[in-house]
Amino acid sequence: MPSTVQLFVTCILDTLYPETGEAVVRVLERAGVKVSFPPEQTCCGQPAFNAGLRKQARKMAIQTIRAFEPYPGPVVVPSGSCAAMIRHSYAELFADDPNWLGRALTMAGRTYEFSEFLVDVLGVTDLGARFDGRLTYHSSCHLLRELGVDNQPRALLANVHDVDFVELPQTGECCGFGGVFSVEYPEISDAMLERKIASLETSGASMVVSCDSGCVTNINGGLHRKHKPQRAVHIAEILDKV
Amino acid sequence: MVDAFHSHIRASLADANLQSALDANAERRIKVRQIAFASLANPQELRRRAKLIRTEVIAHLDRYLEQFVAHASENGIVVHRATDAAEAIKIVLEIALQQSAKLIAKSKTMVSEELGLNHALESQGLRVIETDLGEYIVQLRGEAPSHIITPAVHLRRQDVGKLFEEKLGLPYTEDIGIMTNAARSALRQVFLDADIGISGVNFGVSETGTLCVVTNEGNGRMVTTLPRTHIALMGIERLLPSMDDLALMLSLLPRSATGQKLSVYTSLINSPRGANDPDGPQERHLILVDNGRTAVRESELREILYCIRCGACLNACPVFREIGGHAYVGRDGEASAYPGPIGSVVSPALFGQLEFGHLARSSSLCGACREACPVDIDLPKLLLKIRAGIGVNQNRNNAKPNAPAILAMGLGLFTVAATSPRRFAFAQWLVGLFGSLATLLAKGDPWMHLPAFSGWGYSKDFPRPATKTFRNRYFTQFKSALDEAEKLPIQSDPSASSITKIDILQNHAENLLQRFDDELVALGGKLSICPPGDVWQKILEILQAHNIHEILAWDETYLPDTLLEKLTEAGVKIIFPTGETIQTSSQVRAGLTGASAAIAETGSILVLGGPGRPLTASLLPEIHIALLREKDVYEQLGQVFQIEEIRRAPTAVLVSGPSRTADIEMTLTIGVHGPGELQVICVVDG
Repeated sequence: MPSTVQLFVTCILDTLYPETGEAVVRVLERAGVKVSFPPEQTCCGQPAFNAGLRKQARKMAIQTIRAFEPYPGPVVVPSGSCAAMIRHSYAELFADDPNWLGRALTMAGRTYEFSEFLVDVLGVTDLGARFDGRLTYHSSCHLLRELGVDNQPRALLANVHDVDFVELPQTGECCGFGGVFSVEYPEISDAMLERKIASLETSGASMVVSCDSGCVTNINGGLHRKHKPQRAVHIAEILDKV
Repeated sequence: MVDAFHSHIRASLADANLQSALDANAERRIKVRQIAFASLANPQELRRRAKLIRTEVIAHLDRYLEQFVAHASENGIVVHRATDAAEAIKIVLEIALQQSAKLIAKSKTMVSEELGLNHALESQGLRVIETDLGEYIVQLRGEAPSHIITPAVHLRRQDVGKLFEEKLGLPYTEDIGIMTNAARSALRQVFLDADIGISGVNFGVSETGTLCVVTNEGNGRMVTTLPRTHIALMGIERLLPSMDDLALMLSLLPRSATGQKLSVYTSLINSPRGANDPDGPQERHLILVDNGRTAVRESELREILYCIRCGACLNACPVFREIGGHAYVGRDGEASAYPGPIGSVVSPALFGQLEFGHLARSSSLCGACREACPVDIDLPKLLLKIRAGIGVNQNRNNAKPNAPAILAMGLGLFTVAATSPRRFAFAQWLVGLFGSLATLLAKGDPWMHLPAFSGWGYSKDFPRPATKTFRNRYFTQFKSALDEAEKLPIQSDPSASSITKIDILQNHAENLLQRFDDELVALGGKLSICPPGDVWQKILEILQAHNIHEILAWDETYLPDTLLEKLTEAGVKIIFPTGETIQTSSQVRAGLTGASAAIAETGSILVLGGPGRPLTASLLPEIHIALLREKDVYEQLGQVFQIEEIRRAPTAVLVSGPSRTADIEMTLTIGVHGPGELQVICVVDG
């Protein structure tokens, strides 16, 4: 059982949602680990990697690897796609660079997504959280299909007290974010989001939970523009409420 | 930004007809695929093995090609190699010239779409008719297919009704059965009159030289059986080492493509018509097409050659579902023959990043394509390579990342910020300042309304960046508070996962005949069980029910003793069909053949060709009656592939129910080009 975890808060949470970052810290502390924040961290490099700009992505990946190397213990990332970037794509990024490949793989080997870490490593499913209302869950693409993490967030949500959990139709269908895709092809992204919103409306839930703040930003951005009452929320915000 | 692509995207999204067609396609196809895979005991293990097989073939392609070519040539198939489209077209034209051909009947082949073959043949004065219903429809419309499996997926029945009214003179109807019948009638004469039949090849088997062609409507059988010359077009990568591997792949391909356990007709073609064969083409040509594949094989995009063209990734893709196949256009505005996720890799890989690389950017990288892929191709990884300019344009060796300039600039700046914590914090401070200002201007609204040209602002608002970032809060106030935080007792959850025992196919050894019956009935076929002495009466009963007095039949050697005599005595005219009598055979409404085996798992029967066993008897009539012995019912496809005769027969066909199509609105219609009724009579002793 690790006593201290290194939090990689991700650039989106850091810049846009510091409260969510704080919720992540509180939840982890409640689950019994100390949280440390390596100060050199910035961005994992995923935006550049997905844009095809590998040179730039490598620079950010190196920054990230260096930022965490001095601090032992598991790295916890409250984002499925950032965790997947480190776990799977760093190997691809440094495939031809023997100097960095080993260090990248070491980093990949100790990186966990937040809900995965809580359930699979700490063995916690009931955090004593309480939510009085109807929730549903959006299975984020990289979390579900690259990391194979789905039961873990569901187990955490199932143990939230007083919650009325309903299934989101086509929960594993992409919300249309896809990072640079959403700005390069906004019309397609919007059409995909429309379907996600329609599913949300069908579910009857007032909130949709996700483990990825990219999805949260995308879904909320559309809900707000389209004057819909529902909201997307990061799972840490729900688990934080006692 | 590629303007042609963007305008196609907008047009697709604005086309309500197309949207409803694509929605219907995605919903139906995803569901039937899931149901079909549920009948496999361990689909993930099968998928893993399928990928291993494809990896092995592509790794040693030269060896497998050599072996395949040697065996196919020994079998009497004339094998040609074409390095590019021009060569492939030239070979087809030369064959057509030798044959003085005028009319060519084609069954669906994506390689020919890739080559632009139809256009090239037509410009030489040849008449080329597509015979797959969906492909026939798009050809009549002057369009290209919009999907590699279901070419007319973008159309509704009303579109087809109007088209057939205009082109075939069929009174306007929305009845899919009537439309299908009209196409059947129009195309039957094409099959009978065609000088050359052109087909694709789903798989070539190296150890035997066999060509496997899979169709549902029966048009694939028609064009590979009736015209005196058959030309098969095949990408050099579509090989499998052995018949065992073919059995495995056939458990995945139809399930992935259409949700079927097996397609209606799985033709295993070994050779042209032999001296003693009653029918089949006198000449079979095979054109192995490279057209850039060797270069792809040597590139980092090699994995894309594992593809078996099932179309599952198209059906699973949320982007394809929004824009449809015709929107996947190159820089010049011409659509690629290969749309969807697979096309977004294949098109730039084969035809260049400059022309098609932008397609690889039109993906959210959600991974639904990889999840659906029966050979587990890591499509997102390949899309990312193309975006990065890796593996494409090998010959020019100058591919670069293809990010739009403004995005590249923005991410370049972001990289400068993100490679130093100090610069990063400063950038965050700037962004926060901008956010505060925006909030001030918007009178406290925490949402920013970005302009549409930003991309994001097209349909979404953006949250105001925090004035104080996480790292700021953490280091000033938050950390000290946390040090005091209480700990909860930790609960452990020792849910040890047990490893499932690998059981490739569901194992039920007993009740084979009953299970075959269940599957056959589900496909729309019929099974009767009767003792040897009663078979003639059963056949007579079927014929009388349809008021039929003549029947195409195999030679008596391959049928139960005295059966044909008894039928003749009962007033049935027995006709032995040959390749020379197809025009008259086509008028006969029933056909009688043997079935050398049946497969309980899929409801299929094995019908062999060769001396005394005309292929046309099971192909041309409306009703196909097949005689099966109980001892010949097997559990699985793989067992049937062990039957030696499959490798010796000029052609062996697995028939799974009556001929069918779902090319118009995915509505199942029974009886297209092949028989609309399949009656299997199982002869049991005692």
